[in-house]
Amino acid sequence: MAIDTSAPSPTVSPTLRVGRRLRDDRRYALIFLGPSVLGLALFTLFPTVMALVMSLFNWPVFGNRTFVGLGNYARLLGDPIFRQVVLNTCLFVVLYVPLNVVVSLGLAAWVSPKIKGRSVFRILFFIPVMAPIVANAMVWRLMYQPGGLLDSVSQSVFGVATPSFLASSATAMLAIVVMSVWQGFGYNFLVFSTAMDQVPQEQLEAAAIDGANGIQRFRYVTLPMITPSIFFATTLTLITSFQVFAQPFLLTTGGPGNATQTLVLFVYNEGWRFLHMGLAAAAGWVLFVIIMGITAIQFLGQKRWVHYD
Amino acid sequence: MRRFRRSRGVAGIVVAGLIAIACGSPAGTPQASNPQASAPQASTPQASAPAPSEVSADLTFQFWIGGDADKKAWETVTAVAMADHPGIKITVKGNPWPTYWTRIGTQLASPTSPCIVGMQSLRLEAYADQLVPMDDLMAKYKVNPSDFDQSILNGLKHGGKQVALPYDFGPLIIFYNRDRFKAAGVAEPKPGWTLDDFKAAATALTTGGKFGFTTSSIDQEYLSWVLDLSGAEVLDAGGKLALTSPAFVDGYKQYVALMNSGITPPGSGGAAGYTGYLAMLSQFQDQTAAMYVDGPWMAISNKAVKFQLGMATMPAGAGGSKHYTAGSGFGISKQCATPEAAFQAIVSMTSDTALKGLASVGRAYPARPAVADAWYTAADIQGARETLEYADAHSVPLLTPPNWVEAAGYFDNYGFQALTGELTPEAALQTVQDQGSLGN
Repeated sequence: MAIDTSAPSPTVSPTLRVGRRLRDDRRYALIFLGPSVLGLALFTLFPTVMALVMSLFNWPVFGNRTFVGLGNYARLLGDPIFRQVVLNTCLFVVLYVPLNVVVSLGLAAWVSPKIKGRSVFRILFFIPVMAPIVANAMVWRLMYQPGGLLDSVSQSVFGVATPSFLASSATAMLAIVVMSVWQGFGYNFLVFSTAMDQVPQEQLEAAAIDGANGIQRFRYVTLPMITPSIFFATTLTLITSFQVFAQPFLLTTGGPGNATQTLVLFVYNEGWRFLHMGLAAAAGWVLFVIIMGITAIQFLGQKRWVHYD
Repeated sequence: MRRFRRSRGVAGIVVAGLIAIACGSPAGTPQASNPQASAPQASTPQASAPAPSEVSADLTFQFWIGGDADKKAWETVTAVAMADHPGIKITVKGNPWPTYWTRIGTQLASPTSPCIVGMQSLRLEAYADQLVPMDDLMAKYKVNPSDFDQSILNGLKHGGKQVALPYDFGPLIIFYNRDRFKAAGVAEPKPGWTLDDFKAAATALTTGGKFGFTTSSIDQEYLSWVLDLSGAEVLDAGGKLALTSPAFVDGYKQYVALMNSGITPPGSGGAAGYTGYLAMLSQFQDQTAAMYVDGPWMAISNKAVKFQLGMATMPAGAGGSKHYTAGSGFGISKQCATPEAAFQAIVSMTSDTALKGLASVGRAYPARPAVADAWYTAADIQGARETLEYADAHSVPLLTPPNWVEAAGYFDNYGFQALTGELTPEAALQTVQDQGSLGN
């Protein structure tokens, strides 16, 4: 077998070779990154900037566009309905995010030990995430409505009719939050469950030998070790919950009155139903700024409670 | 994995079912029902369609379409146009009713806009600026306006110009359950019956957990009643939204009070807007309620119920009998590169032949009175002819302001609160009046 033992060409110094490799690497990196950078620029950066430009115009779908400066923003801030829309969205976030994290963390902790049928539970809890949200919402609508599942069960067991959950301003948002938690906790559950599986057994055993009970082991060993996952999950859940749309759109269309209209639903209505693109873009930017601000605060705050070692 | 696939399959079936349910659509929309629509054929010589021409174009027809059966029925209508004009090819595209109206605005503004679009009289004003005025084309191709029902022809005008040609129309009337009337010993309504007759009948029919009437928060319901009770319309003399005019407030308060007088199921269907409309429809069809207001386009799908169906006029209020007329037609997008070809296609699609085909399978009450008989024969419903003829004679076109799409959208939700008692009628109207003009 012929083995090539020839030395590298004496004309190419090692420094030059490293430099060429770096240049090659950069070229390859550019080739590989190109499509995604282009995609990002085309489908994310351009629409974001375009929305900012549109938000400064009275931009009907048909007819003349006129520059109004911050007029759309002023109109939104002066509109009692829009203020309620922002409050509705915040109410949804404040109710949904903690509930989602508590439920998913609780269930992940519950299936964390090697209990029987663990994989079955994992699949069961993840099914709502995979099922189309339209079908989920319609099934929940059938459960909530007068004469629906909840009402019938309540009447036959307690002899009392339930209120019409989606028809009353007092209960509609709660009903949407409950449905959303059911629909959405499976994803965080999987994240937490996987993170808990990574917690070294010996540390848990050491804590147990030191006399820590189950709750203490969870609080002082498991929880600190899964904080990166909790940070990841809460950040993403917070962002997506500010963008909630499908559930109120399908369950209540924002009603009764304005009780469940959220920011994205408002953007959708103004832009697509009522064809006021400028106003919709301005509302979209208000949402963008809120999400950016809160995510920035989360990233700044993570140093205090997220442990990466 | 098998479990996953199965669950998704089940979910898929659920979604397909829901989409099928969602095919029902209010106000001027034919229902997905009878697939055996008439076979395509060229317009007959006595019909008003022009002689075959050499025009050549590839057109898209965008319409509200509930499913495959619905699409096939509309393809038989476009087939009439293609038979009249061998050079014209028409592709039918569509979305279900609620989605149609969230997409058509941006579609009309896009350079790739469909040439022929479905347009409903109540929603016309919001899109009329994007439609080609047809008056010159009508003169050029000798389309006789008097061949069409005048109320719906006027309902599809914008600024005095015809922007769509109608295929169907209908006064909003009351559908009733004849079996329930018989069982309760209540005389069936006659054309021109009065508000007191209606109240007495609805009260007598409200018994044993069943109700005399049902309603929902969509526009065709409250507008019909307000017109009936106080004579008020949504426009003021200047053509602007006038929901807070004393007459409208008075009519709306009477309507809410009437609906909450015990004659309708409590909770107003538990939902606002289109979902509430579907709830109202199912309350009528499952016999929970004995009467409701809708257009003749719902006659055929209502005939599928397990009881004898009747049709009655709106009861005559203080100002006598008044009925709104709504309906739909076809318009041409201003983005269309071949508007003349599109117009010729529309002429064929609204010809006697096409409308007779639609009427004979009961799909649309024809906008051409000459072929109305085909619809009556197909519908075969007690009181249909007397009711529709009487209502038509006492009808006014339902004219709406350009911002009606917004106002009606808000009205869906706030009107629902007024019906459930969460808001006073005055507060609901004031909010809708304010919000309806937010973006304008």
